[in-house]
Amino acid sequence: MDKPDDVFRIDVVDAQCVPAGTDKTLLESLEQHGIDVHYHCREGFCGACRTKLLAGNVRYTTDPLAYIDDDEILPCCCIPLTHLKVTVPR
Amino acid sequence: MRYTTFNQNNVNTLGEPMFFGNPVNVARYDQQKHAIFEKLIEKQISFFWRPEEVDVTRDQVDFQKLTDPEKHIFISNLKYQTLLDSVQGRSPNIAFLPIVSLPELETWIETWSFFETIHSRSYTHILRNLFSDPSDIFEDIVANEEIKRRASDISRYYDDLIFATQLWQTQGEGTHTVNGEAHLINKRELKKKLFLCMNSVNALEAIRFYVSFACTFAFAERKLMEGNSKIIRLIARDENLHLTSTQHVLNLWAKGKDDPEMAEIAEECKDQAREIFMSAVQQEKEWADYLFQNGSMIGLNKQILCEYVEYIANQRMSAIGLDTPFTVKSNPLPWMNNYLNSDNVQVAPQESEISSYLVGQIDSSVSEDDFADFEL
Repeated sequence: MDKPDDVFRIDVVDAQCVPAGTDKTLLESLEQHGIDVHYHCREGFCGACRTKLLAGNVRYTTDPLAYIDDDEILPCCCIPLTHLKVTVPR
Repeated sequence: MRYTTFNQNNVNTLGEPMFFGNPVNVARYDQQKHAIFEKLIEKQISFFWRPEEVDVTRDQVDFQKLTDPEKHIFISNLKYQTLLDSVQGRSPNIAFLPIVSLPELETWIETWSFFETIHSRSYTHILRNLFSDPSDIFEDIVANEEIKRRASDISRYYDDLIFATQLWQTQGEGTHTVNGEAHLINKRELKKKLFLCMNSVNALEAIRFYVSFACTFAFAERKLMEGNSKIIRLIARDENLHLTSTQHVLNLWAKGKDDPEMAEIAEECKDQAREIFMSAVQQEKEWADYLFQNGSMIGLNKQILCEYVEYIANQRMSAIGLDTPFTVKSNPLPWMNNYLNSDNVQVAPQESEISSYLVGQIDSSVSEDDFADFEL
């Protein structure tokens, strides 16, 4: 479960720094800590949660179908692999 | 170049552009130039639904309880959506199929259009339940000035591309005079028309539905017209996927990952593309004005709806590399997210509480963790 090395630090620009585990999606982790992120499908096909990834790495739980640029991620279907720095759509 | 339904030349589609290359011959999906369209087809098919699966009978009782301004809002939105899906149920096929060059994109276009026809059928399903004879509603769609103005703007870019393609395919490049009007036809002009048309479709899928979606879900927040809301949720899920496809097409062009000439055109026509989006935003705001002309509804007014249009426009403009011209920073209608979440979209009542019950979807991924407690 929550082994300490499975928790990463997510630095959300213009908001706070929150911890995120590897047992849920990045979107769920952000919501759990009171950060409202814009979302629609929560399945990676609509792109509503498109987020700028300024530093770090993630892995996807499902193949993201929505269009994302090279420096963008979809929090609804990814899990952090490292500490992250992101700008989320509110 | 004359269109052929089965191009007899051996063409390697992996080297073809999305449009204006060779006509497609073999419908094969084992290899794809742009794999995303194959994935979108699979996703869209997994979403298959029929309007009749959704029980809308309770809406009839609810409808009688609505105030007159609310009835105006509800019916006007249905008319507008009927118009949008009437256009979208045929136009991608007629405009894009004669010029498409990749089998996976060809089939995506057909799948996309087919789902728009399901949406059209669902409006009939909703209206037939509310009125013994819905003819007046349908007939008003071609008589109502507010709707007609939008219709001409939506169909204009399609009609332009279709007409130019017909001239090109029957008469080739050159200047052709039809009914006393001269038309310059060459590949570059055709590609420009295609680019503008794709931007117009993208704007349609991106924002034109959202004013009526917001009204529908505002009724549902008050536990009114919930059958209708279930249908609109299914439609919204499909439209989100369609939008993803037009965003992919526009970005593949702009980033030079397809036809290099389209990358030039994307740069050259960027202002026009922006203008198409901005005028769609303006028209949606005017539509909100028309909806609320007789009075608002609980939970929603013109101003907040216009802010939502701006909010969603910012997001969708940035997705295709445009600026974000509006100042609205946070979502003015946060409850909309719940209705647009695909996990909440369920049809049959027995499925409505169980998110894992997904027809036609099999999760076949197996990770090492699944064998973690497995011992020999």
